[in-house]
Amino acid sequence: MATQDAQSATSSQRLDKETREKLVTVVRHTVLLGWSFVVLFPLYWLVSMSLKPPGQANSLPPDWIFLPTVYNYIQLAQQSDFLAAFANSVVMVAASVVLVLLIGVPAAYVLSRYDIPMQRDVLVWILSSRMLPPIAVVIPFFVIFRALNLFDTRIGMVLMYVSINLSLVVWVMKAFFDGIPETLEEAARVDGATQFQGFRKVVLPAAKPGIFSVAIISFIFAWIELLFGLVLTSFEAVPVTLFVYSFIGSRSIEWSMLAAASTAMIIPVVVFLVAVNKYLAAGLSFGVVIKE
Amino acid sequence: MASITIDDVTKRFGDGDESVVAVDDVSLDIEDGEFVVFVGPSGSGKSTLMRIVAGLETQSEGDVEIGDAIVNQLGPRARDIAMVFQNYALYPNMTVEENMSFGLKMSTDMSADAIEQTVTSTAEMMDIGELLDNTPGELSGGQQQRVALGRAIVRDPNVFLMDEPLSNLDAKLRAEMRTEINRLQNDLDVTTLYVTHDQTEAMTMGDRLVVLNYGELQQVGTPLECFYRPANQFVAGFLGSPSMNFFEGHVEGGTLRADGFDFDLTERMQSSVEGRSNLVLGARPEDITLHDEPTSGHEFEAVVDVVEPMGSISYVYLRAAQQDDDKTFIVETDGQRLISEGAEVYVEIPDEDVHLFDAATGETIHQRRLDADAEIALEEGVQTASSSAK
Repeated sequence: MATQDAQSATSSQRLDKETREKLVTVVRHTVLLGWSFVVLFPLYWLVSMSLKPPGQANSLPPDWIFLPTVYNYIQLAQQSDFLAAFANSVVMVAASVVLVLLIGVPAAYVLSRYDIPMQRDVLVWILSSRMLPPIAVVIPFFVIFRALNLFDTRIGMVLMYVSINLSLVVWVMKAFFDGIPETLEEAARVDGATQFQGFRKVVLPAAKPGIFSVAIISFIFAWIELLFGLVLTSFEAVPVTLFVYSFIGSRSIEWSMLAAASTAMIIPVVVFLVAVNKYLAAGLSFGVVIKE
Repeated sequence: MASITIDDVTKRFGDGDESVVAVDDVSLDIEDGEFVVFVGPSGSGKSTLMRIVAGLETQSEGDVEIGDAIVNQLGPRARDIAMVFQNYALYPNMTVEENMSFGLKMSTDMSADAIEQTVTSTAEMMDIGELLDNTPGELSGGQQQRVALGRAIVRDPNVFLMDEPLSNLDAKLRAEMRTEINRLQNDLDVTTLYVTHDQTEAMTMGDRLVVLNYGELQQVGTPLECFYRPANQFVAGFLGSPSMNFFEGHVEGGTLRADGFDFDLTERMQSSVEGRSNLVLGARPEDITLHDEPTSGHEFEAVVDVVEPMGSISYVYLRAAQQDDDKTFIVETDGQRLISEGAEVYVEIPDEDVHLFDAATGETIHQRRLDADAEIALEEGVQTASSSAK
């Protein structure tokens, strides 16, 4: 009798456990679905708006069922200003990412590997460039850019983007290099490599996931930058964000064109992300890629 | 292949008052083809000394000579050495083949075909031929260890340096690799420096041991010499597992009065004491015997604290019955002997197995006796070893 009771108690405990697990799964999926909806709905709204005819874009109540049209995209492609701004952004952002990596990665390596006087202060100083709100520095930048003839130039905007992203690259890559054992470089030196060869052939490839991660983040930060573009350009070096912003007029907003331009703006980021996706997961777990 | 001379080498880290002496005036001659083990606890300077030989650290004072050349000013790449690191330091972005060929590409002008052939034959020798296309992340710890060894061997260097290469392996694999490294060193006959804190590795692997503590050279000798003829109390305590038991005491007449028992010094011991009053008596756990009843009158009474059965043997932790403090000592007994915690036994420390150390300096003042054959063999070893040590 006692054995039967014990068995039934165990069985009901097991049932309870199974039910609990199912309940947890259901709750987890519901929360995730809800969150996905919150995240994806604006994107859906944007894309669907870009595919609606101009009169229908902002109608209330919204037209949930409509005949998609690429009219807005054709209109957009026919505006040479848009293509110029898009090309501007692609060139300036790509150049800034290359430049920020060329400067930031070696700097991070040096800060990670060598004992430099006041190293901590140098690191905090580098980070301090991100501590001020951009609006606080945009006017001084304007004055400096005018003085140096960098106003409304692509080079000026590239330098601007580099200054925005440099501290991020240095800090993240320093943490990444700290996680790569120094014995790797020592092994390379014992194997006959020079210090630079050790860096180039052993450390840099090992740091690839980190480099791609900061490249993606730098790309996105520069790609979506608006404030400095607004103040530091007027015609020649206008970035695509500024062009998109131009659809918001003082009297009316061209919702369809705004949506089409915004959707077009997402494409390079997605392409870049897909291209370097395989490095991203490892890169986001800074410094744990190598077994110590 | 090459001999190595370490001449009055000192290494200090930091400046001024905050400097730390990691290696303190060490001098050593290592013969061509010799297998020398640097052994000592953490912070003893053994790895620093090896890194100085490798050129990865620069000594503050002294010279390092490899072959006939002083290499103080040369970097690692010019020293024709190969090194196996504690964490293997395999290049994670390269395959096993690329790891093994990296050194040949960097330091020789061999053709690609010759490099491939050399790598393949070395990989087969190391039993890692099938792993050549894998990356280090895909290998087990044992396989990574073999690749690290293979990467060193393929270079055919003048000197092998191994920095605790087995410390990341489990006990079984460590024992296997110990034998493997011994076999490889015998076959290749390359001068080898091996760093370990594991006294079992030290005893079983090297032609000679270099025992270090706090950066200072404690003793250089064959493993058996260091074990049976320790230069000081540190060496005696460091080599052997479990460690040698030490009993502090003072001399009164011909007797050493320790905490909990008296030990009658033999005439040979008394002549070695030379007026010292404070001594440390050392006896290894395997040399002490336990009796249920007093037999010769030289025993002292003790109480069993803990028994650790190991199978064929047991380690018995005891405390002298008359002892003031809680300090225990260890005795190795037959595994089949029935002994329980709390039991009262009689402990005999045989005269011939006792070491005596100066309590102030730790210096050995009396060595144990050995069998005649062992004595002769050890003497021969000592002569060979002392001719190499400065």
